[in-house]
Amino acid sequence: MSSVVLSSAAAPSAKTNWGKRLLIAIPYAWLLVLFLAPFALAAGISLSTVRLGMPPFEPLTAWDGSILNLRLNFENFLYVLTDDTYLLAYLTSLKIAAISTAAMLFIAYPLAYGIASCAPSSRSLLVFLVIVPFWSSMLIRVYSWMSILRNDGLLNALLLKIGLISEPLRILNTETAIYIGIVYTYLPFMVLPIYSTLSSADKTLIEAARDLGCSRISAFWRVTFPLSLPGVLAGCALVFIPVVGEFVIPDLLGGADTQMIGRAIWLEFFNNRDWPMAAAVTIVLLALLVVPIVYFQSRQARTQN
Amino acid sequence: MQSYISIENLAKSYGVVTAVNNINLGIEKGEFFSLLGPSGCGKSTLLRMIAGFETPTSGAIKLEGADVTDVPAHRRPTNMMFQSYALFPHLTVGKNIAFGLQQDGLEKSEIRKRIDEVAEKLQLTALLDRKPAQLSGGQRQRVALARALVKRPKVLLLDEPLGALDKNLRTETQLELVRLQRELGLTFIIVTHDQHEAMTVSTRIAIMKQGQVLQVGSPAEVYETPRSRYVAKFLGETNVFAGGRAERSGEELRIESDEAGGGVRAAFTDRVALDRPFWVSVRPERVELSTSGSGLEGTVEQLTYTGVERHYRVRLNSGATLDARRVNLGAESDLRVGDRVFASWSPQASRLLAE
Repeated sequence: MSSVVLSSAAAPSAKTNWGKRLLIAIPYAWLLVLFLAPFALAAGISLSTVRLGMPPFEPLTAWDGSILNLRLNFENFLYVLTDDTYLLAYLTSLKIAAISTAAMLFIAYPLAYGIASCAPSSRSLLVFLVIVPFWSSMLIRVYSWMSILRNDGLLNALLLKIGLISEPLRILNTETAIYIGIVYTYLPFMVLPIYSTLSSADKTLIEAARDLGCSRISAFWRVTFPLSLPGVLAGCALVFIPVVGEFVIPDLLGGADTQMIGRAIWLEFFNNRDWPMAAAVTIVLLALLVVPIVYFQSRQARTQN
Repeated sequence: MQSYISIENLAKSYGVVTAVNNINLGIEKGEFFSLLGPSGCGKSTLLRMIAGFETPTSGAIKLEGADVTDVPAHRRPTNMMFQSYALFPHLTVGKNIAFGLQQDGLEKSEIRKRIDEVAEKLQLTALLDRKPAQLSGGQRQRVALARALVKRPKVLLLDEPLGALDKNLRTETQLELVRLQRELGLTFIIVTHDQHEAMTVSTRIAIMKQGQVLQVGSPAEVYETPRSRYVAKFLGETNVFAGGRAERSGEELRIESDEAGGGVRAAFTDRVALDRPFWVSVRPERVELSTSGSGLEGTVEQLTYTGVERHYRVRLNSGATLDARRVNLGAESDLRVGDRVFASWSPQASRLLAE
């Protein structure tokens, strides 16, 4: 028996035909042109020196007579890694991303669970409602939050009218506003993968757990939840990674005292016109994100084996 | 006397659809009881009500005299083996089997002991560290069985447990199930649509149709003395002719049948009212065919060789068909397609059936 299982599992598609290779080649070519090449450019710029003019950085190589000089400037990296401002910005970004990812998980899981336990006929409508906000531009939605959260905004007006507060709360331009904006904007990316694992789960497994002595709650924790972990991990990765580099939401909703790394990069590029420094900050951010991605990937691969 | 499991006036409806219609059944301790019927006859719903997955619309289920109708599934002393096996894909075989024992809060050493015991009984010892995805169909079936049995339930419920196995493995597993059931002395209730399977494993069979139980009895009883046309046709093959005028002489009846095109003899019985529509049936293996003599006259229309038997389909002079079988004892068939034959059988082979 075991030999049969092993041979069928270990038999790779030995006959990889050309059609298949072409099919894989197209997306890889796409990634090469639109991801790897810009990445190489940014990496190159990060090792250069700022100068006045266009482009605003020195070339890495220069001919000196018959000698090709290669000048790599690591000062930007040393500065990024030792300067408190950047360190703080990285930490703030990671903290905000971690807390908002956790908040989204707490909101999204019950929501996804609720949708998945509805009758199949009403599920598609509920999923549709989750993604309806994408129909309008993210910028417009963030601006709407500004008018809701302002001191004289909708929220404060409502709370004052009910009599819960006697003077307006200051929410806009605080970290709270950033959390509200991020959780609101990214929630669907957390809901959808969790919903997809929950809705495709085999319902008889719950019955089997109940039959073996589980109450509804313990059946959830021993069967439903562990089986939904791939969806939870996918959702976390989908929101955590872009939130770390988020620029628009902290810029519009946050205050001057909350410096996230996306904003730091923007400032270096457009205010200071220090492209090499901005590129160095970006490369370090990428390195910070690649670590968790690789971790999730290897974890995923392990659970599938 | 109260049965071990007694099902009293049990009914289940989904809106206007009645899945189970007022069933009464008594199942004794140590029985291997089959619920047999076509799909949609309510047999699975009945099993799921015994397991506690469905709440009856009315009626009661009693186990050892105690009413368990309102006891939720996880507190019933029953365990189910699911048709799809429902093994937990994220747990190893060992942890699948341990699942129910951990839920009961048993000591680790006791759990270990019980798993080893059941694994040995079902030849799973070498597979305890595998995940369900790494097992063959037969192995999964044994894990599902082990996971239910390790809880030592009072009643084991099996929902089409062998449906996913191929034919050879199925026959083997049927015998294995019977052996295991005898050895453990447990009560098994199995749901199946396969009459051959029900006959092989059961001590008694309940034949169901449209939410009702038509007949309950040992395999021999329900096969030899079916009470209705439906049961006779569902269990094995049979020839059925509408009966007409009946005349009694002593312990024998002579029945005129226009459909059969002649007279048919049967043993007298008062079980079937002869003043209402009734039918006469005879199993193909009880029919004798000869080229001379008396009986129902017809022509051999088809001859099928199955190895074990030869099947003859005879077109009677009345236009009806009659099936007959002969065990293959090595000799060539003396009958060919197109031969004139006379079909006859002993009065004891005839069965009178109500609707």
